[in-house]
Amino acid sequence: MLFFSYFKDLVGQEVTVELKNDLAIRGTLHSVDQYLNIKLENTRVVDQDKFPHMLSVRNCFIRGSVVRYVQLPPDGVDVDLLHDAARREARGG
Amino acid sequence: MAVGLREFARRTGNGSGTPPVLDESNGEELMHVQPSVAVALGNRSLESPGTLYITSRKLIWLSDVDMAKGYAVDFLSISLHAVSRDPEAYSSPCLYTQIEVEEDEDEEHESDTESTGALDLSKIREMRLVPSDSAQLDTLFDMFCECAELNPEPVEEEEESEHNWVFSADQMVVGGGAEEDGEWPISQSPTSVIGLSVGDEGLAQPMLELHINDQRFDDAEEMVHESETKDH
Repeated sequence: MLFFSYFKDLVGQEVTVELKNDLAIRGTLHSVDQYLNIKLENTRVVDQDKFPHMLSVRNCFIRGSVVRYVQLPPDGVDVDLLHDAARREARGG
Repeated sequence: MAVGLREFARRTGNGSGTPPVLDESNGEELMHVQPSVAVALGNRSLESPGTLYITSRKLIWLSDVDMAKGYAVDFLSISLHAVSRDPEAYSSPCLYTQIEVEEDEDEEHESDTESTGALDLSKIREMRLVPSDSAQLDTLFDMFCECAELNPEPVEEEEESEHNWVFSADQMVVGGGAEEDGEWPISQSPTSVIGLSVGDEGLAQPMLELHINDQRFDDAEEMVHESETKDH
């Protein structure tokens, strides 16, 4: 549940979600659930060539299982803290 | 469960407006019915009139005029959905969805569906649902969110009882049949790996178990509030 908690803290910030099909969508993180399904607001497609029809979409829901990366604001991450927390979660569960 | 879009025409009756057959033995329930919905697969033109059925497992679109025509896709396969209202992107306000397709060899994009030959539904990557009442779009969006949450990835249990977590570079099992070298710094100096000899995985297992199960080795000096995350 570590990343669920982590993403909950990021709600309201700008993120870019890259899907496994290479589509990248930038938007404001509206909400996230335990499966890391993501709802974004004010979305715009980063790479407009592959899925041009998506340009106008304002809000979207992205299935957690198709997310490859979530790119975070640079000051939104304490890497060491996250690293340690992740390691602890994997150990203790 | 099938990946991707497929044909579906199993109805409970013969007339127009009869609902689809569901897999009730597996707990599938009908959640929402939206009449007067047109569907556009990929780049193809809108097909209508039809009725959209949203079940706890999948969405089904059945034609109101052609009893043999219908499409279904599991929510497991719907990667993304959104309300699209920009007329420049599409002529009508619609619910835009992306469908995960089985990746075969390197295929073309959905420009294939323009051809007059047999349409391969399983290659459809985008689907738009256009309700005649566009005020229903937000309701449909919310329903799709709900159904996506009802269909999380199936968890494969018991693959290995140990998940082979690696907690530090010291535990990397060197050798073990892998051919790659130079990628991991560890492999270049196996003598620095404490307790493990090259290819000797037998020693690794007890070490991992000790790490996982023995609470005496947990960091005792951590702050109280950190441990809350374990319970969620």
